[in-house]
Amino acid sequence: MISEAFIPAVSSLGAVALTLGVIIHYVSKKFHVEEDPMVTIVNDILPGVNCGACGYPSCGQFAEVLVDTKDSSMTCPVGGSDLAAKLGETLGITMAEPKPQIAVLLCQGDNDTAKETAEYLGIQDCWAATQAFVGPKQCRYSCVGLGSCIAYCDFNAMSLENGLVVIDKDLCTGCEACISACPTGVLVMQEKKAERYFIACNSHDKGAATKKACEAGCIACQKCVKVCEDNAIVIENFLARIVQEKCTACGKCIDVCPTKVNCIRLENDLKAVKQKKAS
Amino acid sequence: MESVNLKISYAPFVRSKDSIEAVMYNVALALAPATVMSVYLFGMNALIVNLVCILSCIAFEWLMDTIRKKPASCLDGSALVTGLLLALNVPSNLPVWMLVVGSFIAIAAAKHVFGGLGHNVFNPALVARVFLLVSFPAAMTSWPVPAPFSFDMNVDMPTAASPLGILKTDGLQALGSFNIMDGFYGTMNGSMGETSAIALLVGAAWLFYKRYITIYIPLTMIGSVFIFTGIFYLIDPTSYASPLFHMVTGGLILGAFFMATDMVTSPLSVRGQILFGLGCGLLTAIIRLWGGYPEGVSFAILIMNGFVPLLDGWDLADRKAKHQKKSETK
Amino acid sequence: MKTFKIGGVHPPENKLTEHIAIEVMPVPAELAISLNQHLGKPAKPLVKMGDEVRKGQLIGQADGFISANVHASTSGKVKAVKPHPHPGGQYAMTVFITPDGKDEWAEGMNTEPVDWKKFSREEIIQKIKDAGIVGMGGAGFPTNVKLSPPPDKSIDTIILNGAECEPFLTADHRLMVEYPKEVIAGLDIIASLFRGEAKSFIGIESNKQDAIDTLKKHAAASGIEVVSLKTKYPQGAEKQLINAITGRTIEEGELPFDKGCLVQNIGTAVAIYEAVCMNKPLIERVLTVSGMEIGQRKNIMARVGTTFKDLIAFCDNMSAKTNQIISGGPMMGKAIFSLDVPVVKTTSGILFLNNTALEKSKERTCIRCGKCVDVCPQGLGPWLLANVAQMREFDDIQLYGLANCTECGSCTFVCPSKRELVHWIKYAKALVNNRQKRKSA
Repeated sequence: MISEAFIPAVSSLGAVALTLGVIIHYVSKKFHVEEDPMVTIVNDILPGVNCGACGYPSCGQFAEVLVDTKDSSMTCPVGGSDLAAKLGETLGITMAEPKPQIAVLLCQGDNDTAKETAEYLGIQDCWAATQAFVGPKQCRYSCVGLGSCIAYCDFNAMSLENGLVVIDKDLCTGCEACISACPTGVLVMQEKKAERYFIACNSHDKGAATKKACEAGCIACQKCVKVCEDNAIVIENFLARIVQEKCTACGKCIDVCPTKVNCIRLENDLKAVKQKKAS
Repeated sequence: MESVNLKISYAPFVRSKDSIEAVMYNVALALAPATVMSVYLFGMNALIVNLVCILSCIAFEWLMDTIRKKPASCLDGSALVTGLLLALNVPSNLPVWMLVVGSFIAIAAAKHVFGGLGHNVFNPALVARVFLLVSFPAAMTSWPVPAPFSFDMNVDMPTAASPLGILKTDGLQALGSFNIMDGFYGTMNGSMGETSAIALLVGAAWLFYKRYITIYIPLTMIGSVFIFTGIFYLIDPTSYASPLFHMVTGGLILGAFFMATDMVTSPLSVRGQILFGLGCGLLTAIIRLWGGYPEGVSFAILIMNGFVPLLDGWDLADRKAKHQKKSETK
Repeated sequence: MKTFKIGGVHPPENKLTEHIAIEVMPVPAELAISLNQHLGKPAKPLVKMGDEVRKGQLIGQADGFISANVHASTSGKVKAVKPHPHPGGQYAMTVFITPDGKDEWAEGMNTEPVDWKKFSREEIIQKIKDAGIVGMGGAGFPTNVKLSPPPDKSIDTIILNGAECEPFLTADHRLMVEYPKEVIAGLDIIASLFRGEAKSFIGIESNKQDAIDTLKKHAAASGIEVVSLKTKYPQGAEKQLINAITGRTIEEGELPFDKGCLVQNIGTAVAIYEAVCMNKPLIERVLTVSGMEIGQRKNIMARVGTTFKDLIAFCDNMSAKTNQIISGGPMMGKAIFSLDVPVVKTTSGILFLNNTALEKSKERTCIRCGKCVDVCPQGLGPWLLANVAQMREFDDIQLYGLANCTECGSCTFVCPSKRELVHWIKYAKALVNNRQKRKSA
C-alpha cells in the first residue's frame, strides 16, 4: 500500500523539479547564442579530425572563420580538392585547391643497414635520445628510429618497422603534425604526385664517412646524375637530390645506384624496389 | 684491448638506493608497532583481520593489474600498506566477508579506477572504511573491549560503544571517568588502530627519521583539533570533552600521522600542507562536536583530499603570476 | 660552515684519487683536436690536410662574439680536418694532427714568467682571448667575454670555484695543492681587471682540508678570503656557490653579474696566469681518470686532443665489466658511445663504471613523495616539470620555472620511482626551444 509519506514526497519533489525546469527553460531562451546554421553545415562537411593543418586549432573554428569571411584562399589539406569543391558548392564561391602534399622520410637506414653507436637506455623518444648523444645510429642525419613521430599522427599513417619509420602514402593527409616531432629533420613534406622518385637519404657526410655509417646512404658517386637524360638530379653538399619539375620518372637512376636501396618511388615500397634491383 | 659493450643513458649515473618498495615497506614497518599492539589487545581476531585485509588487498591488486594489462605491482608494498591501514580502521570482530569487500573497494574503486599507484585522489583505506561504515553501520560501530592475550577464538568478546560514540549519543556525563592514559596506551575500546596512541607515535617517529613525512600536516591537524575543541571546552566544560580526550580518542593520531600524510593524496608544497592539515583538523572537530557521526577524521581527510590539486595549483599559480609580471616589466 | 640555503644531496664522494699527484701524460701517437670546445659557434679551421703546425699555433679562429680560439697541442702535421665524435655526444669538425715528436713551441710562446702588472686591462683581456681560454669547469664559456661584463654592471665579489662537488673528480683539488701560487696569481690577475673594487674569495668544500690550508697560506698576502664550504652537492654550481659565500640569490633570468658577482674555475685561473705571464695558449688540462673499472686511477695532465682510447691504455686498460664511460662527473656528465672521442678543454674527468642500476632503472609512476622538491637547490618542483613534459603539454611549462633548472641531477638522484627527471626537463627545454624557433621562422 502507498505509505503516508508518498503523496507529500512526490508532490514536493515534483514541484521543485517543475520550478527548476521552468527556470532552465527561461535561462536557455534568454542567454541563447545565435549561431549561423551555415557554420553547422560547413562543419559537418569537414573531416572533423582537428589536426591543425589548416592553421586553425579545430574544424569548428575553420568553419566559423570561413562562413564569416568567405575567404576562398582557406584550404583544408586533409580534405583535398574534393572537399574544396564541396565547400565551394555549399558557399557559392570557388575555393582554392589545396596543394596535395605528403610526409616523406629521407632515410633508409633501418636496423640492418645502419651501424649502431651504442645501446640506448634513456627515455625512448627521438628528441630525448638526441639530447643524450647522436642517437642509436652512427649517421647524425638519420631517422633516430624510436618512433616518436607516430604518436602525432591522427590518421594512423605511420608505423615503426625494424628501426625505421614507415609512412603509408594512402593514409597520409599531409597535415604536417609529425614534422615537429623529428629532431634530425629527416621527416619532410613533399608534393604528392602519382609517380615520383626521391633520394631517401639526408646525409651530408662525405662518401666514405656515409658508407661507414650506413649501407643505404647516398655516397654522391654521381652515377645517377650521369645516367639521367633529363638532367633532373643534382649533387648538393655530398648528397644527391632529384629536381621534381624535371623528373620524368623513367627509373634509370634506380638501376645504376650502387648502394643497397636509394632512390625509391613514392609508394615507399621497399620490397618492390629491392626486387627491381635484384632482377 | 678488449671491446666493451657501452650503454648510453642520461645523467645522473648514480642513484640513491631508494625505491618504491623501500618507501612502502618502511611505511609498513612504521605501522608494525600499532599492528602488534592491536593483536596484543584484541587477540586472535585481530590477527585474522590483518591477514585477511593484507591478503585480499594484494590479491585484488594483482587482479586489477591483470585486467588493466599493467605490469604486476602487487608486491611493491602499496597493497600491503593499504591492507594494514584498513585493518587498523575496523573493529576486530568485523566479519571476514566485509573485510574482503572493503579491500576490493580500497584497491579497485579507490585506487585503480583513478589510474593506479600515484594517481588516486582519495586515500584508498579511508574510502574503504567510510564505505563499510555507511553500508554496515551496526557492524562498524560495535567495538570489542580490549582483552589482552585472548587467543581463544571461541570466546565472544564483549562489545561496547567507543568513548566518542558514548559522547555523541549520551553526552559528556555518560562518559564518567575516562582515563586519558587508557587512550594513550590503548586499553580503551575502539578500532584496532585508534586505541594505542603510543604505538602509533613510535611508528611515526620512524617515518620522520626516514624523511618520508614532514611535520606540517600532523602538527596543524592535531593542533587545530586541540585548539578548536579547547575553545569550546573552556566555554562549557560540562558539555564538551577536554581537548586531551579528543586527541587520544578516535582515529586522530592514526589519521594525522599515517592517513593524512599519505604521499599520493597530500599536497607537495609547505603552504599546501599547512592548509591541508588545518582543514582536516577543523573538519574533524566540527564533525565530532556537531556532526551526525561521532568520529570525523575519515570524512575530514577525504574531503581535504579533494582539495589537494587546488592546493598544489596555488603555488604554481603564484609562480606563474610572478613569471608573467617579470616578463611584462622587461 | 657556509652552505647554500635550500636543497642539495649527498651522493657518495668516492674521491679515490684525492692524494694522487698529477702525472703528465706523454704526447700520444695522434691528436684529434675538436674545433668545438666551448659554448657558442665552433672555431673556423685555419689549417688543412698536409699543413705543418707548431705547438701552440692557432689552428681554429673564434667565429663571432661567443666563440674561442683553438690551438695545436703539439708540433706535427695535419692529417685531416673532418667531422668526428665529440665527448658531448654529437659530432664536431676536428683537426687531426700527427705529432713529429719534437713538441716545438710556436714563436714567442711559453716564455719565462713576466710581471702581469705591466699589462693594461685591455691587453690582459686580449691575451686571454688569444689564448683561447674558456670556462674549464665544464660549461666552456669564453673567459674573455665573462671577464667583460656590461659596463653598467659593477662587480664587487670575485669567487674562484674550488668546490669540485662532483663525486670522483679531484682535478681541481690537486691543482690547488700542487700549484697554489699559480692559482693565486690567476685570481690576482682577474681581480686587477676590476680595479681593486672587488673582494676575492676562494670557495673550497670541507673535504679538501689540505687544499684549504695550502691556499690560506698563499692567499694571506693578497687579501683573498679562503672559505671552507659544507660538502654538499651541488655546492660547485655557480648560483649555489654565490648563495653560500655571499647569501645573494641569482633569480630566474639573471646572470651572476646582475648581483655583482663573478665566478671562475680553478683550472681557468691557472690557465689565465699561464696565458698572461707566459704566453701559453690553452692546450692541456688536468683531468681525473677514475671509477671502479679502470686499471689505474690517476690525475693526468693531458694534451687537448688525446683520445680516450690512448688515455685508457695509459691507465692500464679498463675491465671487461665496463658498461658506461662518463665524460665529466657522475651527476652531470655525458655517457660516451665511442672510445675515439678526444679530450676537450672542458673534460674534467673520465669515469669507468659498471652501472648495475641500468637494467633496473625503468621509470615508474610518480608517487608524489616530494623528495625531489626537498632537494632541488633552485626551489623548483621537478616532479611537475617532468610529468608535464611527459604529457607533452608545453604551453605553460616555462611558467613553472623550466628555465631556472640547472640540470644538477639532485632530483633524479633521490627519486624512488627512478624517474628520469633531468632527461625529461632537458627534453622539454629542447622542444620549447624548437617551438619558439618555428614560431619566429
